[in-house]
Amino acid sequence: MAESTAAPVEPGRAARRPARARRSSSTRSEGKTTALGHRAVALSRFYQGKIETVPKVPVRSLRDFALWYTPGVAEVSRAIQADPDLAFELTGRWNTIAIATDGSRVLGLGDIGPRAALPVMEGKALLFKWLGGVDAIPLPIAAKTPEEFVQVVESLAPAFGGINLEDIASPKCFGILETLQQRLPIPVWHDDQLGTAAATIAGLLNALALTHRSVRSTRTVLLGAGAANLVTARLLIALGHDPHRLTLVDHRGILDAERNDVDELMLRNPWKYRLALRTNGGGRRGDLAAALEGADVLIAASTPVPGTVRPEHVRAMAHDPIVFALANPVPEIWPEVAREAGAAIVATGRSDFPNQVNNSLIFPAVFRGVLDARARAIPDEIVIAAAQQLARHAQDKGLSPSHLLPTMEEVEVFPHLAAAVGDTAVSLGIAGRRRTHDEFLERARAIMGRSARLVRALARAHLTPAMPSARALGERKVA
Amino acid sequence: MTASNEPGASPGGPSETPAIPIHLRPARAADVPAIVPLLLRLKRLNEEFDPLLKVRDDAEAQAKSVLAAQLDDPKSVLLAAEGVGADKDKVVGFVRAVVRERPFYTPEFEGVITDIYLLPLYRRHGVGEYLLKEVSTALKAKGAGVVVAEFPAQNEIAIRFYAKRGFRPIQLLHARSL
Repeated sequence: MAESTAAPVEPGRAARRPARARRSSSTRSEGKTTALGHRAVALSRFYQGKIETVPKVPVRSLRDFALWYTPGVAEVSRAIQADPDLAFELTGRWNTIAIATDGSRVLGLGDIGPRAALPVMEGKALLFKWLGGVDAIPLPIAAKTPEEFVQVVESLAPAFGGINLEDIASPKCFGILETLQQRLPIPVWHDDQLGTAAATIAGLLNALALTHRSVRSTRTVLLGAGAANLVTARLLIALGHDPHRLTLVDHRGILDAERNDVDELMLRNPWKYRLALRTNGGGRRGDLAAALEGADVLIAASTPVPGTVRPEHVRAMAHDPIVFALANPVPEIWPEVAREAGAAIVATGRSDFPNQVNNSLIFPAVFRGVLDARARAIPDEIVIAAAQQLARHAQDKGLSPSHLLPTMEEVEVFPHLAAAVGDTAVSLGIAGRRRTHDEFLERARAIMGRSARLVRALARAHLTPAMPSARALGERKVA
Repeated sequence: MTASNEPGASPGGPSETPAIPIHLRPARAADVPAIVPLLLRLKRLNEEFDPLLKVRDDAEAQAKSVLAAQLDDPKSVLLAAEGVGADKDKVVGFVRAVVRERPFYTPEFEGVITDIYLLPLYRRHGVGEYLLKEVSTALKAKGAGVVVAEFPAQNEIAIRFYAKRGFRPIQLLHARSL
């Protein structure tokens, strides 16, 4: 499931669709998406939510509540009052995170608000549990301003071992993440920035290796300057990419220090402003075509409209170019079109093409790792370590232009990723709980494995009813 | 006043010894075409702070005539900032100021900095300090006994910049639409 892989180029500029007839694969996929949507609504009505709280202690009789609850529990509270860190040992805090959103940019739906965002957060919580063994609480927040949102999350933090920010519009997501990271002593992550960027970097490292390139001498164009690409740019620079050989392009064209809107960016989007000052050495001006002339790599995380990137754009790139077209649900250029135009390697955000850049490969394991290390933060070193570990896993399985990244089926990648994250937290000195690599690995395997067993056991015991057929739900047939 | 002191990482990465990347000199008539777009950038930035600072449609023509008039006005100061090295001869910023009489107060004349603008890549590195020193010298030479900076009330960057250099608010302009 490639959710929220794309960052928006500012909305309202999507109409660059070429006159040519829409490709059949697109039509087919839209039909399928509609049918899936109908079924999802019917199933949501049937199950009435995707997660619930389940006890993790035995309850033999009401008498046990003298231990789990009052009066016994008072002593547990006193212990935590005396040593707040004990909350991570005496309660579920060590494994519980919030999925906090204001609903301002949900999937490709836009600003649908916190209420409508809840089903998405529930789905995310299910992924966290199923893949990472993490207890994630959906937490849509009706906040009018970023300051109010920050305040609410900060106030709720005592319940959580980590915070996953989700589906918050750019650029306010940057300020919210930075502020919460500064204020809270627990890891705070924004998946649309960090998860997507980490998966992108992982795929890119392998694409560079396959085409005999080094990140230090590559010329890269990033199309779309939203949550994901601004972080991808930052991480690339941290990995040694020359900022002068990096060019960002948004709906106004090439981002440059002398562009007319640069002072406005200084006020409204300092993250983008900083990149405007550092990138695009040589001062190229113009549109995507001008930016791509001779470029090695294109990473598009922009508008889900095929034709946003055109074959002539790809043809103007360097020999054996790398094209990541990450918009969802529809990539900026169809993979076969990009390949016909000469792309050596193509990646998208979709599971029905090879090389899916998928943040679900990253976030469950990152949280497993930081929670097990009881890390106080998630600095970029951890994001990069996760990306590198993901890349390494694909290398171990054998790289090819159609196997850049592990797929979601390669579940053994998750504990290894978690262990790499834990190791990095320890070596950075931000781990509250230092464990060895093998300890991290075994612990991640155990927790993730238990989680998967739990889901299966609930199904076997018919505590989660079997998935009803479309017919049983009185629904029209799924195509 | 825009961000000669915008906080954050310096654009060139970890800083070498910060050499001032500009040179200030009195503007000439030939500089006007290069200063006009910079003046418009500054006015558009001001527009971000308050709807009562909305830029007029004819602002470009206005900028040309205002700048031309200012060059001939002995009470005005118009300085052009040139780049150095490869950017020599490129106008990368400007300062506009005017000397006004204060009929009831002393000192009798104030030098009012109405506009300072530098392209982003030429900010920081102590450039703001240098600009302020140069324009103050020019205003003093024209008889000003006090230097005043005029900028949008919401421009926090400017407020911090001037406060750090000993400026304090002495009069406020409060406005409402009619």
